[in-house]
Amino acid sequence: MTSQSTTSKDSIDATRDDGKWLSAFYDPVASLYTFSQCITLSDINADGDNKLIIADLGTGSYQMKLKVYKGTNLVSENTLIDLPTGVATFYMDQNEPRTPAVAVASGPYMYVYKNLRPYFKFTLPSLEINPLEQDVWNQVRDERIDVGVLREMLEGMRAEGTSLTVRSLRFIQLQAEDLEAFANQYKHTPLKKQTVITSLGTMKKSLAEEDAISCLVLGTESKQVYILDPEAFTVLSTMNLPSVPVFLNVSGLYDVEFRIIVACRNGNIYMLKRGTKNARSCIELNSQPVGLERMGKNIVVGCMDETLQCYTTKGKKLWTIKLPASITSMENVDHKSKGFKAVMVALSNCEVHIYKDKYLVNIIKTEDIVTGMKFGRFGREDASLIMTTKGGGLIVKILKRTAVFEEKDATAGPPVSQNIKLNVPKKTKLFVDQTMREREHCVSMHRMFQHDLYRLRLDAARSYVKALETSMNPVSTNTTEPLKLSAQVQGIGPTFKLTVNLQNTSISTASFNLLITFQFDDRLYNIHKTYIPVPMLVPGLSYAFETFVDCLSDKGISDTIKVFVLRQGRSVPIITAMISMPVSETMVVV
Amino acid sequence: MGFLDRLAQMLGLKKKDAKVLVVGLDNSGKSTILNHLKPEEAKTDIVATVGFKQEVFQTKTLQFTAFDMSGQGRYRSLWEHYYKECNGIIFVIDSSDKLRMVVAKDELDTLLQHPDIKDKRTPILFFANKMDLRDALSSVKCSQLLGLDMVKDRAWHICASNAISGEGLAEGIDWLTEQLQSMLKGK
Repeated sequence: MTSQSTTSKDSIDATRDDGKWLSAFYDPVASLYTFSQCITLSDINADGDNKLIIADLGTGSYQMKLKVYKGTNLVSENTLIDLPTGVATFYMDQNEPRTPAVAVASGPYMYVYKNLRPYFKFTLPSLEINPLEQDVWNQVRDERIDVGVLREMLEGMRAEGTSLTVRSLRFIQLQAEDLEAFANQYKHTPLKKQTVITSLGTMKKSLAEEDAISCLVLGTESKQVYILDPEAFTVLSTMNLPSVPVFLNVSGLYDVEFRIIVACRNGNIYMLKRGTKNARSCIELNSQPVGLERMGKNIVVGCMDETLQCYTTKGKKLWTIKLPASITSMENVDHKSKGFKAVMVALSNCEVHIYKDKYLVNIIKTEDIVTGMKFGRFGREDASLIMTTKGGGLIVKILKRTAVFEEKDATAGPPVSQNIKLNVPKKTKLFVDQTMREREHCVSMHRMFQHDLYRLRLDAARSYVKALETSMNPVSTNTTEPLKLSAQVQGIGPTFKLTVNLQNTSISTASFNLLITFQFDDRLYNIHKTYIPVPMLVPGLSYAFETFVDCLSDKGISDTIKVFVLRQGRSVPIITAMISMPVSETMVVV
Repeated sequence: MGFLDRLAQMLGLKKKDAKVLVVGLDNSGKSTILNHLKPEEAKTDIVATVGFKQEVFQTKTLQFTAFDMSGQGRYRSLWEHYYKECNGIIFVIDSSDKLRMVVAKDELDTLLQHPDIKDKRTPILFFANKMDLRDALSSVKCSQLLGLDMVKDRAWHICASNAISGEGLAEGIDWLTEQLQSMLKGK
């Protein structure tokens, strides 16, 4: 069942944020530039007060920070070396008090913080290097080949489609004079090929409890998914994907059974299971995914074509909703004490829509476009919604205790357009009288009209033939000379500028030996160039020819000027344009 | 009330009984405040209240029966069951929890709109608790955030308090005693 629901005005009014959310905090200048993946809520001090942990992207090149908020106060800031791609908290041991560790994925590293202090740095296992590339660099080190040969060989390898190391790629990019220095600097260090973490998730290891030990799940640029052991930081299992993972959704227990749903850069969604090495293809989207959430047995995907789509885990499409604007962020709402599960979608029109199944149940309006969202326990409040905006603001909203979401289709009932009256014009008495007359004199009316029509046709044909004979029309009908002419006059006088536009309308034949000339009353006007030779006309281009016209009369008389286009050596014009000159302003003598 | 009771009351031996409802968000310090008001020997360790507890304490002229309600979200619906029988309300605010001030305001508004409270002129005492904390708001700021200036149909009073040391509690309870006494007399 696929349903397309359009949001009508009435339905939106019914689901407006009618006091379901309390605005707890709004700081438009918090300068937090981050995304949903880099926001998490966790009780990192084990005091029952959940903190907000945000990996701030800063400007993208500096000021990247790991920020921790307690309530509305910033309590801690750690500088990050590289751009963060994800933040997760997880319990790594059984020690009391139960303080979780914070994991920040950044470049090829996983920085683990405990008690907000750097604790461990995990490096992704390096990838295999092409033996030929290794060999070439070894030869350079032993000075058996020079840098020019090295560059040629590396370029050859790249052309064949071999994936090279970062060092080789940089080397190929360099200018010829820098090659020697670069090779000398790096040739003694061993070649290394690293990948980058693109997505991060956590998975409980053997118990499904809230504070059970969790494994980290990493998706990498090398199209792999790693599962890490939380205590020893060793890779428990590696799984391969056909494309680069961008969104991970993990469920289940590592030791029992788990499912990882992965949205990839190629617009497909894959499923990974316990014990499999390679991904099973599941869903092919018709547009790139921008968010992936799991709702019970279904997968809800937000796509770049402004749609929200729902699939079963088997890959069957259940429904699609067309959204009013493009999606900037998605978040899962799971309010356990109310048993309310929904999907939140932040849109680029400064709204956050909440969908329970396929029904729009609530709309939150924000001052700015929301780029990152997190719903969960913040401080001591279970149903808090943290939003970061495009302008770097921070918004905290709290769901009211008494708020209820109606789970019905807001767009139910007949469409609104059914109630709009058609604009049918009214008939007056005049119309009725007219019909009466038509009924009575139908025969004579018909005859009269036909007679007039014959005369009209005759007149039209006569005028047309006359125009053809004198070549008075501005568009040439002659197939050997397809030309189009238009002329305009500019200015208020006494001097006017006359522009003649000439175009060859044929497909592939150029026109030669044409000239433009004018016919005018020489007592009234003086044209500066009465004869303009036309260069070769290339088909399709419009050529402009200009001349100045002086008005000689100061009595406010105007006349028409004729423009002729002729072929050299023939006296009959091909086409003609008539310009009725405007009345000239009199010369003002100062 | 029996004859003996009335006699004892007239002689000032037995005090009048007043029922107060102690509400506020979780972790605001309701139980700690009541614990501090109780006689020395009855004091206990404070844990999170489940459901509600009934506490008794005395001032010079009144005997208070306090319903110590749990402030956790899932127990807040219990509050309204006690609105009918209470003579006064103590509303405790965690003045260091700026984030949840809106939640406190929301709960206060629901309380004031409740039919059992709306028509009765129940006095309300606010404790801006945890004033000892560094990032605590002043009682003026608290009353501003809760919109107390809009409450015009009943007697209310706000005082900053520290339930651990007991600072500010006496002032508040004195005010409440005064209010309740005049109300009980008027009956």
